[in-house]
Formats: sequence, C-alpha cells, structure tokens
Amino acid sequence: MTESVGIHVEGVHFGYPGRPVLRGVDLTVRPGELTALIGLNGCGKSTLLRLAAGLLHPDEGRVLLGEDDVARLSRRATARRVALLHQSAPAVPGMTVRHLVRQGRYAARGPLGMLREGDDPVVRRALRDVGVEAWADRDVDALSGGERQRVRLAMALAQDTRVLLLDEPTTYLDLHHQLDVLQTVVRLREERGLTVVMVLHDLAHAARFAERIVALREGRVVADGAPKQVVTPGLLAEVLQVAGRVGEDPEGGWPVCYPDHPIAALEYENQIH
Amino acid sequence: MTRRFTALAALAVVCAAVEVVAGRGMSPGVVWEVLNGGGDATERHIVFQLRLPRLLVALGAGACLAVAGLVLQSALRNPLAGPEVTGVTPGAVLGAVTATALGLAGWDAPLAVVLAACAGGCAGAALLWLLAGRGRGDPAQTAVHGVLVSAVLGGLTAMVLLVEPGELGSVVQWLVGTTEGRVWEHWHLLWPWALVWGVAAWLLAGPLTLLRCGDDIALAAGLSAHRARTLALLCAVALTAGAVAAVGALGFIGLLVPHLAVAVFGADLRRSLPGAALTGAVVVCGADAAAQLSSRLLATALDSGRLTLPVGALTACLGAALLLLVVRRTPSRTF
Repeated sequence: MTESVGIHVEGVHFGYPGRPVLRGVDLTVRPGELTALIGLNGCGKSTLLRLAAGLLHPDEGRVLLGEDDVARLSRRATARRVALLHQSAPAVPGMTVRHLVRQGRYAARGPLGMLREGDDPVVRRALRDVGVEAWADRDVDALSGGERQRVRLAMALAQDTRVLLLDEPTTYLDLHHQLDVLQTVVRLREERGLTVVMVLHDLAHAARFAERIVALREGRVVADGAPKQVVTPGLLAEVLQVAGRVGEDPEGGWPVCYPDHPIAALEYENQIH
Repeated sequence: MTRRFTALAALAVVCAAVEVVAGRGMSPGVVWEVLNGGGDATERHIVFQLRLPRLLVALGAGACLAVAGLVLQSALRNPLAGPEVTGVTPGAVLGAVTATALGLAGWDAPLAVVLAACAGGCAGAALLWLLAGRGRGDPAQTAVHGVLVSAVLGGLTAMVLLVEPGELGSVVQWLVGTTEGRVWEHWHLLWPWALVWGVAAWLLAGPLTLLRCGDDIALAAGLSAHRARTLALLCAVALTAGAVAAVGALGFIGLLVPHLAVAVFGADLRRSLPGAALTGAVVVCGADAAAQLSSRLLATALDSGRLTLPVGALTACLGAALLLLVVRRTPSRTF
C-alpha cells in the first residue's frame, strides 16, 4: 500500500465576481483521516472540495496534496491523486455500469490507453468494492438512485487515488442506501488508508461516521474537532441556524442531535450580542 | 457486438449491390456481366466510370457525416446537435459556393472546394458559439440558435447565388445534396481526407466518451475538457466539409445516424464511432439506391426521361420524421 496523502489548505480565498465564497480558509487534513464538512447551503463546502480536487483555483492562498500545489499539477496528474464524487450527474444514454466505471481510469490510461479493450484489475476491484459486479452490464440509466450512487462511487474508486472527496454522497438516497454508501466509504478507508473528506448535510451521519467535523459558515471555518467536542447546541445555532439539543448515543457513544426549530439569522445575532 | 457489425456490413453490401444496379437503362444481368469482364465499351464506361465512383462517394460521404454528427453530439453533450443544425453544414455550403463564385475553386480545383467548405464550416460553428453565449450548455437553446445561424447562412448562400448564378441546375442539386454525376476525381479527393479525420476522431474516442458523461465528471476524471472538445469540433468540421464538398448538403444524416449508432453499439465511442461510420454509409447508399429506383418509377409515371430525384431530398424527408421521434424521446433528467 502506498503512503497516505494529506491535504493542506493554506489561507485560501475564492469568489465569483461580486460574490466571495471562501474568505481565508486554513485546514489541514491528516493522511488517512475521515473528515466531514458541514454548513448551510452556500457556505462554501462544495467549493472547498472543488478547490481540493483542482477543478477551481484559489484567488489567494494555495491547496497542497501531500507536497504538491494542486494549482501547478496538470488535470491528469491531479486526477491520479484525488477523486471527487459530485453531488449529481447527468444521464448518459446507452452507458453500461462497467463502462462508466472504466471511465474512472482515464487519468491512469490516457486518451490512447482508453482505446484498449478490457478492464484492468483496478476496475474489477472498484466494481467489487461497491458490490455491483452482478449487474455490471446493465445500463446506468436503468438503475435506481441508490444503485447509481454506488456505481458513481465505483467510478471515483477506479481512479485509485489516495484522497477521496465526496460531495453530499447521500443527498438523494433513502436511509438504507445512505448507510450503505457511508459504510462502504468507512470500510474502504480503513482497508486502504484513504484520506476522505465528505460534505454531509445530515449532522447525524457526520457525528456517527466521521472522526473529525469541520464546520463552515460564510466562507470561514468556525468549528473543527472530534464530533464529541464540536457537536453542541451552540454549533447547531451558529452553523446550521437551528435551535436544538444534543445527547449521546447510548450504545455507540457518538453525539446525537435533536433539532427543534430553525432560527432566523437576526435572532441568532441577538443571542450572542 | 461483432454480430451487429457483421449484420451491418452485410446490409452495406446489399445496399451497394442495389445501388449499382438501380440506375436507369441497364438490367442487373448486364451489370453482372460487365463486372465479370464482359459488356461493350459504353456499358463498361457506365459501370466503372460512373456507377462505381458514385457508390463509393455515397458510402464515404455517409460515413463522414455520421461520424461528424456523433462527434458533435458527444462533444457538445447535445442530442440535437448535428452538422446541419450547428451551422457547420450551411457554413460549408456558403464557403464552397462563395469560393466557386469568386473563381477560387471549381471543378478544376476540387481541393480548393474542400478547403473553402472547411473554412465556411468553422465560421458557421464559431458564429453559433458566439451567438449561443451562455446558453451553450442547454441543448434546446443551442438548437434554436443553430436554426437561426443556419437560416442566416442559407440566406447568404442564396445572395451569392443570385449575384453569381453559375449553372443553376447543378447548384440546386448541390444545395439539396446529391451523388448524381460523382466521378473518380471526387472519390480520390474524399477518401484520404475522410481517412485522416476519421482516424483522428477515433483517437479521440476515449475523451469523447468521457465528455458524454458531462464536464464535471470528465474534469474530475482527469480530462482537459476544453482542449478535448476543441479538437473534437475540429474533426467534426473537417469531416463535414469533406462530405459537403463531395456531395453537397445532405440533410439529417449527421443528426440522426448517431442516434441509431448509439442505440445499436452503445455509448462506448470506440465501438459506436466505427458503427456510426458504417451506419451512415449504409443509410446514404440505401437512400441513394431508393432515390434512383423511385426516379425510374417517377420517370415512367410522368413520362419524363430526364427526371432524377436527388438523394438529399429523400434523406431530408425521412430525417424530419425521425427527428420528431428523437425529440420526443430525449431525456432531460439528471441523477
């Protein structure tokens, strides 16, 4: 097994014209760590993932994968180091599962290598990892949402990277498939020492599955630490803008949230001043 | 998969055979005799100097247009893209007509026609690119702008023709698309061009397959989507220009054959690009054979010896009907 790779985000600012998104983010994800990013819609979570995957470049600051500045790596070199599972993907008529997963090998094979016939061992392993070998020759468009998400995870795994970034991997799934996807990620990370960063909307999942929770608000990191330290009523109010209580899971010991009602931003400001 | 290719190849042979005997004035028996080394000088001339090159040009042009269409649809992620509706074909026609009118190109300088068609095709595609602006990602928007661009380019072509009419009859045939009167010269010009750009398109099969999955996924998987798309568009324009220079603006082949090819050979462009080439060749050749047979019937019915139906008229009518099906079936959901 090759060495795990960490991610260093150093003083990153990023924005679109007239709309700053990240306003100075510093974050070090240690090699082999499982980190959850949480925050409201538009707080910059997905942007941070895209910066780490090299799909966007910071206006200020830099993102390092191991020793390398992502902005200086070529697209293919980046894709060999980091895989990103997007929140949603367009339909691809006529594409089979095996074929979509094989597309994850692009960076490893190159344009001419993609003309070669057949799966390599990594593709077979990726299909096995998420348990989709049995229907590898079915059309992706004919699958259910949960099955498709597993296939897309397999495509990201086929990139065979040390770093795996997941942007809301469970958003459109039912509870069964949510747990299915998350447990697969946890298992693979333990087996292979992958460094995983995932954006999660569900604080319950973050508290249960992540080792570390990083909370973003308006483009800044406002909380960072183990779930037990971070998940508090104060975090619910400040980051997610809900009033609620926090308890502890009697068996697992991880924090459990009981959100009560949303609070308006103004109300929240009044609470702290 | 091999069986599908074989079946299609067999169909191509059948279409080619029908095409060779479909013309007027010679019975299939005579054609067979000529192919076996018999026949008199006139019959030999008709078969070897007129019918064979015409057949080859039909096959080649069909393959070019179909591959160009599949490349366009994949690169733009747009099921409604095709050389006819993205300004490439009308641009190529305008380029070729203008060059001919200016005396820069013509029957004596066939390569100049191809180059002029290429320049025009690029200009047409660029015009669409600029006009569509932010709507580029949206298939419907691009299609609407494509119609607009095609109309403008068609109008410009008409203006050029009004100023410099040339031989009106041959020009009209050319605007509709026809294989009538195509000889070895056309074929010798078409095949190297088609081969070079066809191979180039096939080498892009990997990136193009990835582009079909959407830019986000393609970028994350390590493809420089912008560069790949530019190269792919170049291939598509060149292939279209080659076909237009050879047979004129044959309608709907580039728009519809790719859908057939993807349905039969799947979304893996390593297979569906050659598949599209073969399907396009079969469709154009078959349509040309059908056009010749119906010309014969019409000629008897209307008692007019000179009537010929251009193949482009037939493909346009068939294509319009098929397009309706595609539009109704096109998915717009995401997952």
